[in-house]
Amino acid sequence: MPVLATKLYIPPPRAQAIARPRLVTRTDEGLRSGKRLTLVSAPAGFGKSTLLSEWIAEIQSRQTSIRVAWLSLEAHDNDPVRFLNYVISALRTADPEIRVDLLTPQSAVDVALAALVNEVNRVSSELVLVLDDFQFIEEPSIQEAMVFLLEHLPSNLHLVISSRSDPLLPLARLRARGEITELRAADLRFTPDEASAFLTQTMGLALSSADVAALEDRTEGWVAGLQLAALSLQNRTDVTDFVAAFAGSNRFVVDYLMEEVLNRTPLHVRDFLFQTAILDRLSGPLCDAVTRKSDSEAMLESLERANLFVIPLDDHRGWFRYHHLFVDVLRARLLADGPEHVAALHRLASEWFEKSGDSEDAVRHALEAQDFPRAARIIEATIPLVRKSRQDWGVLNWLAALPEETIARRPVLVVFSAWSSLVSGDIAAVEPQLAHAELLLTAPPSEDLPAHDSEPGPELAALPVTIALYRASLALATGDLPKVEEQAALALALAQPVDYLGQGAAAGLLGLERWASGELENGVRAFGESAASLRRAGNLTDALTTTLVIADMLVPLGRLRETQAAYELALREASDQLNGGLPAADLHSGISEVLSERGELEVAEEHLLAAEKLGEAAFSHEHRYRWFVSMARVRQAHGQSDAALDLLAEAEKRYRRGFFAEARPIDAMKARIWITQNRLAEARAWADQQSLTSRDKLSYLSEYAHITLARLLLAERAPGAIGLLDRLLEAAEASRRSGVANEILVLQALAYSRQGDDAHAREALNQALEHAEPEGYVRLFVDEGAPMEKLLRAAIVKGRQSDYVHALLQAFSQGEDATPATGTELVSDRELQVLKLLASELTGPEIARELFISLNTLRTHTRHIFEKLGVNSRIAAVQHARTLGLI
Amino acid sequence: MHEIRIRGHLDERWSEWFDGFTLVQGSDGNTTLTGPVIDQAALHGLLRRIGDLGLTLISVNLLDEKEQSCQ
Repeated sequence: MPVLATKLYIPPPRAQAIARPRLVTRTDEGLRSGKRLTLVSAPAGFGKSTLLSEWIAEIQSRQTSIRVAWLSLEAHDNDPVRFLNYVISALRTADPEIRVDLLTPQSAVDVALAALVNEVNRVSSELVLVLDDFQFIEEPSIQEAMVFLLEHLPSNLHLVISSRSDPLLPLARLRARGEITELRAADLRFTPDEASAFLTQTMGLALSSADVAALEDRTEGWVAGLQLAALSLQNRTDVTDFVAAFAGSNRFVVDYLMEEVLNRTPLHVRDFLFQTAILDRLSGPLCDAVTRKSDSEAMLESLERANLFVIPLDDHRGWFRYHHLFVDVLRARLLADGPEHVAALHRLASEWFEKSGDSEDAVRHALEAQDFPRAARIIEATIPLVRKSRQDWGVLNWLAALPEETIARRPVLVVFSAWSSLVSGDIAAVEPQLAHAELLLTAPPSEDLPAHDSEPGPELAALPVTIALYRASLALATGDLPKVEEQAALALALAQPVDYLGQGAAAGLLGLERWASGELENGVRAFGESAASLRRAGNLTDALTTTLVIADMLVPLGRLRETQAAYELALREASDQLNGGLPAADLHSGISEVLSERGELEVAEEHLLAAEKLGEAAFSHEHRYRWFVSMARVRQAHGQSDAALDLLAEAEKRYRRGFFAEARPIDAMKARIWITQNRLAEARAWADQQSLTSRDKLSYLSEYAHITLARLLLAERAPGAIGLLDRLLEAAEASRRSGVANEILVLQALAYSRQGDDAHAREALNQALEHAEPEGYVRLFVDEGAPMEKLLRAAIVKGRQSDYVHALLQAFSQGEDATPATGTELVSDRELQVLKLLASELTGPEIARELFISLNTLRTHTRHIFEKLGVNSRIAAVQHARTLGLI
Repeated sequence: MHEIRIRGHLDERWSEWFDGFTLVQGSDGNTTLTGPVIDQAALHGLLRRIGDLGLTLISVNLLDEKEQSCQ
C-alpha cells in the first residue's frame, strides 16, 4: 500500500480566513489541561479544518516541543489495516523516533495498536494527532480501535477528531470525566462581529452594517454560506439590492449563491469545474486528461487565487482537492445532466491513473464508470504483482464489486478468486471455481461458452500450473496427501522450463506432503529444490524462508550442526542482500532455538533481541509465533517457567495453522512446562482433551504429543510409559529421526533408573550420549534436572569419562541463574517480577513490553497480585509488598 | 415510501443526487423530498447526503400504503 503524502499534509492557515481567537483559545486550553480528546463536530462548511489549521499554526509559532500529526481521511480508508497504517505514518512524520512498522493485511490490529501505544509512550515528544473528516469512518473495527486508543491514550498524545457527524465513541463518559473539549456547530458559527470582520476586512467588501446583519441572519453564521455570499458580491455594484433579494428568498443558501457564483464564472472555467468534479484529488496532468485540455495547472492555480474552494494538498501545489460542499454541488448538477457524461469522465480518469501506474485509482474510476471489462482487465494485470508482494490489497473488494458474469469470463480472475476462497478457509468453494477456470481454458468455444476474456500473457500461460498448485494446496488443507503428491507432480510436469516460481511452489508442496507424512529426509530434499527454484526466480525472500521449514525437519532428524549452519548462511544473506528485511527476524528466532538446545543461552537471547530490533516488518506473518516459542525456551532454561508459559500463550495467539505440518503443537509445549512445574492435573486435562493414550496408533504428526504423554505418565508414576517409549523409539529409529530418538532414550534412562533398573538406564543413556555428543546437545540432558544429573555422575563413575559429560554436568550448575524461589508462598515468581516493575516508574504498557506480554496478560497478573495482597491500587500493592519484604 | 422534510427551498435538480426523490417546495419555505428507499442503509445514506450539504433536517416519515393511495 503506497502511503499518499497528501493525506498527511497539514493544511496551512488560509490567507483569507478570519482569525478566531475565542475558538483557538478554547482548543488550546483543552490541550494544556491534559484532556484526551478534542472533538470538532459540525456539518460541512463550518470551518472545522480551517480552525484546526489556525490552531496548529499557533502551536507551532510558540516553538513548543509539541509535534503535530495530521491525517485527512477518505471513504476508502474504511479498512482497519489501512487506517492504522496511515495513523502510524502520520505519527512517524511528526516524530521519526516512533519506530513501529506498518501492518500487512494479515497483521493483528489489536497487537499492532498495543505496540503503537507502547511506542508513543516511549518517545519523549508531546504529540497531537488530528484525524480530519472522520465522518468517513464507518467500519466498526476501526471504531473499536479508536475506543481502545482513547482508553489507553498515552499521556503525551492528544487526539483531535474533526467530523461532520459525531463519531461512535463513548462521548458521554468522556464528558462526565471532563476528558473532552467539544466545538460544535453553535460554537463554530460566525458571530455578528466575526461575520462583519470577515465580509468587510478579509473579503474587502464595502457593506453597510444592515447588509452585514442581513447576510449573517440569512446564513445563520454558516461559514461556507458567508464565503459564497462574499464571492457573489465581489465586483458588484448593486450590493444592497443583491443582499435584499437573497435575504428575501427561501431558496437553499447553497443553491442560491452557487448559481450566482457559477453564473459569474467564465464558461471555460465552469466546464473545467464540472468535468473535474468527479475527482477526489486534482493535479494539472490528471485534469488535463479528464478535460482533454492542456492548461489545467494554470487553471487550478487561478481557482485557488480566486478562492473558489480549491484546497492545496501539498506544499508545491502539485495536488489539490475541492471543498467537500462545493464538490457535492458540482457533482449533483453533473449527475442531473446525465450519467453517460459522468461515466465518460470517469473512464478518462481511469485511463490516466492506469498510465501513471496507480491501479487502485484506475480500478476505482473504472468501477465508477461501470466499465467492468476495463476494471477487470486492470485487476487481472495487477495479480502477478499482488502475488509477488503477497498482499492482496483491495483485490478482493474489487472482485466483489465486479458482476459475477464478468469474473466468470476471465479464468485468471476465477483462479485468483479460488485462491482467496482457499486462504480464507472457504474450502468448499475452491474446486468448483478451479473446475470452471479449467473449462474456460480447455473447452472449444461454443454458444453456451464463448472464448474467455483473459488477456494473453505469462499469467494466463501458467494458469494450468497454477490450477494444479492450488489443487495440491487444497488437498494439503484437507489432509489428502496422495492427491497433494499427484497435483504437485502434475504442476512440475506442466511448468515451463523457465517457470521457476511454479517449480519452486510445486517442490515446496511436495516437501510439505513429505513432512506431514514424516518422511523428513525427502522433505528436506524437496525444500532444497524449492529454494533453488525460488532463487532462480529471483525470489530470495521466499528462498530464505524455506530455511525455517528445512530446520523444522532437520532438528527431529538430529542434525543440529547442519541446522545451525543453514540458519547462519541464510542470516548472512538476509543481512547482506535483503538489508535485514523479511525473513531476517524469523531466521533469528529460528536459530535461537537451536542455540538454546546447544546450551548457548546468551547467544540465543541475543538473536531474539536482534530480531526485535529489526522490527515487525522483518517478521513474516506465518512465522511470527516462533520468536515467542524461542524466548519461552530461553526463559524455561533459566528456570522461569511462568514467564515461559506467558510467552507460549502469546505464541498461540499468533500461530496460524497454514500449510505447515503441526509437528510441535504449542499446547503440548505448555503441557510439558506444567509437568516440570508439577501441575499434573492441568497436564492431564490437556492429555484427556487430546484423547491421548499410551495405546494409540503412532504417527509422526502425533509424535511430540505422545512423547509429552510419556513424560506425563512418568510424572504421574502411572503405568504404560515404558511401553509407549519403546514403541515411540522404534518408530523414530525406523525413519531415522535420531533427534527424536535421543529424547526418547533420555526418558527411557530416567524411567528405568526410577524402577531401579540401572543396567537398562545406563544402556539408554549411553546410546543417547553417543548420538548427542557429535551434535553438541546440552538442554536435552540439562532440562531433565537433578535425576539426570545423578545419572550422568553415575555414568562417570562407571567409566564413561569424557569432556562432553563433564561439560554437561557443568551446565547443570550454570542453569541455576534463575530467579531464586521467593521464600513466600504468596506470589509466584512471575507475579514477583511484575511487582518489582510496578514499583518502578514504568507505565503499564512499558511493563508489558519489558515482560514481552500483552497488556491483557499484565492485567491478569496485576489482578492476581491485588487479590493476594488484598489491595486495589498499584501504590498500595507496592507498599504492601515492601512491608512483606517481597521487594 | 419515505418523506423527508428539510428547511429552505431546494432546487429540483438535486433529485438525481437524492436517489431520484421528488422535490416539492412548500409555501412554508421548506422542501419535501418523497421517494422509495430499498432499505435502512439507503435511507441512512440519503440522510448523510443531506447532512453533508449542511441542510437542516426537520423530519423523516414513513408513509404507509393507505396514505399513498389517498394522495
